Amino acid sequence: MRGKTSEAGIIIRTIRPSWSREMRVKTWLKGTAYSMILVESPPKDKGIVFLKRKNEVWNWIPSIEKVIKLPPSMMSQSWMGTDFTNDDLVKESSMVTDYTHAFAADTVINNRKCYTVIMIPTPEASVVWGKLVVCIDKTDMVQLHVRFYDENNVLINTMNGYEVKLMGGRTIPTRFEMIPADKKNQKTEMIYQYVYFDRPISDGFFTPEKMKTVQ
Amino acid sequence: MWLLRLAWKNLWRNRSRTLITVSAVAFATFFSIITGSLKEGVFNNLVKNIVSSYTGHLQVHQKGYQDEQILDNSFKKSALLEGIIENIPETGAVAPRLESFALVSSGELTKGCMVLGIDPEKENKITSVKEKLVNGRYLSLEDRGVLIGAGLAKKMNVSINDELILIGQGYHGSSAAGKMPVRGIVKMGSPQLNDKILFMSLPAAQELFGADSLLSSLIISLDDNTEPSGVAGSIRAVIGDQYEVKTWGEILPEVKQHIETDTNNMRYVQYILYLLISFGIFSTLLIMMVERRFETGMLLALGMSKLRIQWLLITESLFTVMLGSITGILMSIPLVLYFKNQPLRITGEAAKAYERFGFEPIFPASADPMVFLSQGLIVFVIGLILSLYPLYVVMRMHPVMAMKK
Repeated sequence: MRGKTSEAGIIIRTIRPSWSREMRVKTWLKGTAYSMILVESPPKDKGIVFLKRKNEVWNWIPSIEKVIKLPPSMMSQSWMGTDFTNDDLVKESSMVTDYTHAFAADTVINNRKCYTVIMIPTPEASVVWGKLVVCIDKTDMVQLHVRFYDENNVLINTMNGYEVKLMGGRTIPTRFEMIPADKKNQKTEMIYQYVYFDRPISDGFFTPEKMKTVQ
Repeated sequence: MWLLRLAWKNLWRNRSRTLITVSAVAFATFFSIITGSLKEGVFNNLVKNIVSSYTGHLQVHQKGYQDEQILDNSFKKSALLEGIIENIPETGAVAPRLESFALVSSGELTKGCMVLGIDPEKENKITSVKEKLVNGRYLSLEDRGVLIGAGLAKKMNVSINDELILIGQGYHGSSAAGKMPVRGIVKMGSPQLNDKILFMSLPAAQELFGADSLLSSLIISLDDNTEPSGVAGSIRAVIGDQYEVKTWGEILPEVKQHIETDTNNMRYVQYILYLLISFGIFSTLLIMMVERRFETGMLLALGMSKLRIQWLLITESLFTVMLGSITGILMSIPLVLYFKNQPLRITGEAAKAYERFGFEPIFPASADPMVFLSQGLIVFVIGLILSLYPLYVVMRMHPVMAMKK
């Protein structure tokens, strides 16, 4: 899903019991250390940019012409009103090296046979979760379902992947939903419109200066 | 009639004795008026502080706003709704508001602040923001500047015409960011508000938070001496259950409880004062009856009926107590007026405690005529009840025994 670098256009839909809201964003990712998100719509938020460098998040707000470094106190707050937190943008844990893995009974999701993997973070990993349950499609090897538990084994979030298809040369789920466990009728959807993988992006792209001009 | 004349003459036959009794009653009235008026004044001031600086007497919200005070729980501004509320006879002014929180930043400094989007003219009728202006000018609906609390301005080190940057979250998770110049500095009574409040015009706030034509509350002032909960009920009845109507006591329950506790404490202080007053008056009556034992015994021996003597004594008491009460009231007026205009200012730890609750640390007196009347009346009644003692003495009196030296 990640590739060395990726460039994607995503529609993010915040769905709440009484309203919903749609945003279009463009993202650039390089490894786990760098990412940049540009908001393209709605018009009021157009041009807002988030930059992640290692464990720092910067925010360019065009209406006040300022780059702000998000303070630690804001990291646990909702990102743009969605079910993602600012912290979710920063996390750079590795699914492979930061967790121990164990198979559980196979399952079937949307007529696809899946492996179920139980992932427990290693003691030295700096990970907020206590346990992850991941269901991986047997043929395409993509994540279709992830459950995030905290250290007390309480379900916090559920992520589902849908509409697996070929995009940017890879077979990936193109629609995700993130469902917080403690809030009824509330979720955030991400729909990929396009992805390009492994187009070279220089480290110099991920700088606060670049945020002001990125298109 | 002769009885009244005799009683009056009796009073002035022994001037010093009468004066002592009158002054006992007068001082009693004086002290109970001063405490009563301070009590009234302090709590009225607290309520006024809260109601007239921030909450209003009543607020109308979208249902659920009270439990979760976020922009997403706001409602569409409607002239109809405001009209309906204004038409309820007990309501005074109605003012729309959009309230939220934001970070305000200038130069290197950033602070959290409370943003109040207001209709400047209507808001002024309830919370008199215009009078709190210490520098600069007031807002208009078209204005895109802000009024900043004096405490916040000091912390942020900003003055008139400086530019502030506001960042927060808007309606439905949109981003809220804007640059706005400071138009004026307002000194709020409540230190808590003073340190974090930022006013802007309603349209400016709606624009900033992406909450087009939305309100978080309508604040309502009531005519004086109207019980807010009653009016809240009648508003609830006409606007439907899409909305909630809250009194200031429900919005700030901790403040209401604080006031109730303090009122009770003050009441006990007053009871003790009344007890002291009673002993004071009683001792003068006791001495009077000892002094007048021979005289009363002689009247009895001459054939005046006990009932007549009792009437005479009660009339005398009535005169004395009345004189005392009136003198007491007259004595207290200048002092009460002085404390009303020059409130006692508390300092030190106690002041900090008050500030934590968001109150001005001052003790003004209330010059409400009811205080004078009710306290005067209470002392008057105490005096009259105590004058039952001479009647009792007369009732048990035997003329011969009384005149024996």
